[in-house]
Amino acid sequence: MALTDSQYEGYQEKEHEQDLDNDSDIISSTPIVQVKQVFKSFGYNSNSSSSRSRSGSKPSHEVLSGVDITINRGEFITIVGPSGCGKSTLLNIIAGLDKPDSGDVSARANDGLSTVRGIMIFQEGALFPWLSVQENVEFGLKIANIPKHERTKIASRYIELVGLTKFSRYFVHQLSGGMKQRVAIARALAMEPEILLMDEPFAALDVHTREMLYEELVGIHKTTNKTILFVTHNINEALLLGDRVLVMSAALRNIRKEFAIDLARPRDLESPELYELKRQILVELEGDLQQVASRR
Amino acid sequence: MLAEDDHRQDSIQAGRTDTQHGRSIDTNDAANIVLFLAAFLGLWQLVVALHILPDTLFPSPASTAASIGKLVANGSLVIGILTTLWRLVAGFAISIVIGGAVGLAMVKFRAFGKTMSSFAVGLLTFPSIAWVPFSILLIGFNDFGILFVVVMASVFSVMISTYSAIRNVPPIYFLAARNMNAKGMALFRHVMIPAATPSLIVGIRQAWSFAWHALIGAEMLITTLYGLGHILSVGREFIDMNQIVAVMITIFCIGLLFDRIIFLRMEEKVRTKWGLNQHSGE
Repeated sequence: MALTDSQYEGYQEKEHEQDLDNDSDIISSTPIVQVKQVFKSFGYNSNSSSSRSRSGSKPSHEVLSGVDITINRGEFITIVGPSGCGKSTLLNIIAGLDKPDSGDVSARANDGLSTVRGIMIFQEGALFPWLSVQENVEFGLKIANIPKHERTKIASRYIELVGLTKFSRYFVHQLSGGMKQRVAIARALAMEPEILLMDEPFAALDVHTREMLYEELVGIHKTTNKTILFVTHNINEALLLGDRVLVMSAALRNIRKEFAIDLARPRDLESPELYELKRQILVELEGDLQQVASRR
Repeated sequence: MLAEDDHRQDSIQAGRTDTQHGRSIDTNDAANIVLFLAAFLGLWQLVVALHILPDTLFPSPASTAASIGKLVANGSLVIGILTTLWRLVAGFAISIVIGGAVGLAMVKFRAFGKTMSSFAVGLLTFPSIAWVPFSILLIGFNDFGILFVVVMASVFSVMISTYSAIRNVPPIYFLAARNMNAKGMALFRHVMIPAATPSLIVGIRQAWSFAWHALIGAEMLITTLYGLGHILSVGREFIDMNQIVAVMITIFCIGLLFDRIIFLRMEEKVRTKWGLNQHSGE
């Protein structure tokens, strides 16, 4: 999908004219990801790298218990929950980097037949330090054996989209945290995925940079119409970005509640609607915390 | 336009680290080296001039230089250096191939890796010179006997560093690469090897120094006609201290040359590219 500069720069203006009803009609017609009754435990026999160190003595530990999610094409979903509630595991399963113990995950293209792949954007440290910005963005294209001049073209386009053209020859360590995450976004977009999976991508950034990146991400979502699944523990972030906010529970190991947000972006956290939503989400999370505590 | 402020900050930060590229020996360093050498030679000459040690057993800088000249003129030093270097390169290459292959197998087969790594660590601390009698009886007084000792001295270091360098690659690189459809050979070539390179270089540098130590020892004990270790032994037999010191200086220079010029350069280059020098380099 080609992005022209005018489209990119124009998204802010268009933002306010957005016709939400019309949008959600298109969205609801085609589910792109369906997660059905997914169970996942980490235990003695798990060969997942994250549990390697403690797998020896601990009995199996359930992180996902019968999770059901349907994500529609073009939707921006945020998942919020306390740390350790299984958000990242869920994302890894949807990305195909981990397998559920039972249950079914399907990601289908528009024709309903071919599977599509979600590309992950991690919190930090997933860029390759031995490659330049340009080479990092080209990585997936190189793996796909796309000829050199073509992948240079594609990569340059996405580097430009995230505003890093001047820095394309830099190495990862020469970039600030915000620039690194922009490169990660460009690298994911260069794969031209239908789904972007974001695992707390802005958690390590300062507030100023983070707000800048919200704006850019909202713009990218609008121009590219990608489906985005965004995991965070930051409620504000979830409220500012999501079409739907899924609250994940550590006690239930499942989605606890879902909130639809029918507000145009950029959103104002001080607005009464968001304020009320935030209060409700906090109540949910507080309830979850008590439930976990009472079980011990 | 969107992120201009952020960019400005970013470029400042990027610019700062950028200046650390292209470090080289400056005039200050060169002056220090000259000064040190002068002091060293002065001290040496002083000890000679004071006649603390018998003249026959403690050569002067001048007589050592003359000995180097003589060894160069009759060709034995050049042939010795070439022979020794050939053995070093050949032995080291064999170690890299075998050690690298076994190291990779250790990563691939976890149970094998676990047992083999404790075994290899045991052999890593095993004094390489203790392989000499074994090698003489099994192979004999020839190049292959010497090569055997060199390989045994360095192969386990290559093995262990390959194994641990790959195992210590942050799993997130593999996750990200697999997510972008990299698998098998592509994952190996484009992720595993480059990601392991900084620690691999450290391990290989260490293996090289093990090989170098073992080589000179083996050349002295496994007598063949050529090699620096051999010239050293000949010096001992003829009680020619000038020749001994001359060869020692040659050995020192070769070691320094390889370590500083080749390995350190290589390491610096990788570390700079990766940004691993930012705190230590100032």
